[in-house]
Amino acid sequence: MVLNVREILLLMAEETEKNGIPLPINPRVITEWAEGLGLPEKGDTLLYTGGLYQLMPYINALVKYLEVLESRPSGGFLLKAARKLGLTGLAGAIAKPDRREVEYSHKVLRAIVKLLQSAGVEFAYNPSADGYSGVLLYDMGLDNVFRRHAVRVYESLKKAGARRIITIDPHTTFIMEKVYPEYVKGFDIEVVNYLRLLREKGYKPSGNGGRVVIHDPCLYARELGIIEEPRKLLADAGYEILEPRRSGRMTYCCGGPVESIAPRLSRKIASMRARELSEKGRRVVTLCPICLANLSRAGEKLEINDISLYLSGEA
Amino acid sequence: MASIEEIIRRVYKALEDEEFQEALWKASLGSEVRVPRILQNYEYIRELAREVTEARKKSIDRLDELIEELKDSARKTGVKLFLADTAEDAREYIGGIIGKGKLVVLSKSMVAEEIGLREYLEEKGNEVWETDLGQLLIQLEGSKPMHTIAPAVHMTVERAARLVREKLGLEIPDNPRPEDIVAEVRRFLREKFTNADYGISGANAIAADTAAVVLVENEGNIRLVTGLPPSHIIVAGMEKIVETLELAVKQAMVQAAYASIYPPTYINIIAGPSSTADIEHTRVYGAHGPREVHLVLVDNGRMKARETPLRDQLRCIRCGRCQWECPVWRHTANIWGGPTYGGPMGINWTGITLGVEEAGPLTLLCLQCRRCDVVCPVEIPISRIIHWLRRQYMDRLLLS
Ligand code: SF4
Repeated sequence: MVLNVREILLLMAEETEKNGIPLPINPRVITEWAEGLGLPEKGDTLLYTGGLYQLMPYINALVKYLEVLESRPSGGFLLKAARKLGLTGLAGAIAKPDRREVEYSHKVLRAIVKLLQSAGVEFAYNPSADGYSGVLLYDMGLDNVFRRHAVRVYESLKKAGARRIITIDPHTTFIMEKVYPEYVKGFDIEVVNYLRLLREKGYKPSGNGGRVVIHDPCLYARELGIIEEPRKLLADAGYEILEPRRSGRMTYCCGGPVESIAPRLSRKIASMRARELSEKGRRVVTLCPICLANLSRAGEKLEINDISLYLSGEA
Repeated sequence: MASIEEIIRRVYKALEDEEFQEALWKASLGSEVRVPRILQNYEYIRELAREVTEARKKSIDRLDELIEELKDSARKTGVKLFLADTAEDAREYIGGIIGKGKLVVLSKSMVAEEIGLREYLEEKGNEVWETDLGQLLIQLEGSKPMHTIAPAVHMTVERAARLVREKLGLEIPDNPRPEDIVAEVRRFLREKFTNADYGISGANAIAADTAAVVLVENEGNIRLVTGLPPSHIIVAGMEKIVETLELAVKQAMVQAAYASIYPPTYINIIAGPSSTADIEHTRVYGAHGPREVHLVLVDNGRMKARETPLRDQLRCIRCGRCQWECPVWRHTANIWGGPTYGGPMGINWTGITLGVEEAGPLTLLCLQCRRCDVVCPVEIPISRIIHWLRRQYMDRLLLS
């Protein structure tokens, strides 16, 4: 059985229109990690997470649910029913992500904040201006929904007084830097990726050392040219970097982008890549929450962590 | 039209076929290392690729003028030119030349596949043989080419041996080696070559200034298909025209290098029918080669595609590199990408030749990882075009 693709896309589109994120969950999941950190809320440089790290545990739960549906003969029908009637199966599955994954995403975000602070970057975090950027909508070609969403995101950033935003993952960086200017009239916010920013500041992180295999995300490598920055930061932090057979500009996809449409294909690509990484070593650095999730799912005995945890000595 | 669910179903079936997965995986690993090595060993190729990219862009811009120029040169060189608007026009025209009850040999042509030429000629009562080994195996299997350059990439030697044994009655020993198959097929096809009434080929490039076509190959079958039968029919997409013969040859060289066959064993240039004037200065056609040469240029959506982002795909030189490098294609081969073409370029060619409706659902399995974009010798933003197709399609899918 394969999934009813139209239903999945409609779910994403409808939820984003309704509450700003592509899944039927409370939007607070995007900002709760910052509660109690006492970050300043006002400033013209805002940390804009785009919500991808925070959403991954929920997307993982969705994919797991879809994989089950896929293995059943009536999966496509169930999905349609679930969306139409708001059935508890779907919403319930997504609402109960793996708590460890949620905590992990919070750990990553806090590590990034600490890195920026240690590097002397002045920035604010305004929860009402943070939120999902709409990357999946754009990727899937849902142009009109995406455009409306992007305008809303832009307006709330402007309202919060943002002149510059700091982005932390490849998809959000790409969409804000290259796509928003095309879709949002008068878009005038400067976008800077945090790895670039750390390098610009000449920041020297300190990590735990050892050998790590680097897995470049597609968009950093081929769209944004962020290839050297993570390597320099990791080297400065005391790591020896091992390059997999396909790395840098020719890095290989983790399979993530088709995870909710053809989970089996996605998994196949992920395991191919995971095997390739494992040929070089067990400790793997990822720079994108989707890569992290998908490679972890592939089941190789790898110890995969986000770059921020390596740079802050937490991995 | 295949729905996205149907496409996923086919892909999943391919994922489960272990023989298929293994053959494909082996082949693609090879290509990935061979092309960079060629580029390193022959430094001028990159330079040539840049030149060809510019030449291709220019010729797509000037296509209408170049067609006029080609008409002129064809008249001078004695090539019979026909412009076919649709696949059907092309089929019928060629069918009209050949008639029925004839023996026809074909060298691999994706445009012939696109217009369904072999099946059409067979239905009309002709005996038609593919002569490229991989393509012959595809003919025997009754499937479609699984890669632009390596059509039978998904077959293990055992599968190939089984096919020629069963379908052609050739004697292939147990535990066959590729050599055994090649030798038997060679013997089988020899007789077809010599007795064929018509030879049909494609073209890697067509020169507007001379009406010469350029064809690259390793097997040597193209030489025979285009040289032995009394009539030669070339069928090619209109986008294959470039300004000069010089550029056409360069384009063929670039194509070969990025298809990881460099140096190519043969580069053929064919400018009109064979002739001699050795007796009393009287020109006589059909000395040793064909007496007549037909050039059938197929539009089938190409001219119209120039008005959309698909325009960039028209400069494709069909090297197939984007296929080898695509993480999805490595598991599916041309099972994914459209009814004729496959993989990243295939989606866009499906868009050109069959329209957004047909190409749309295919785009949903693209990872947008952009490996294809960076390896394409003529710098086609393949994944960006796929994304454009996806957006067109989504509009319709969600409205429906
Ligand atoms: S799109 Fe580019 S890489 Fe792909 S077949 Fe055409 S020329 Fe080759």
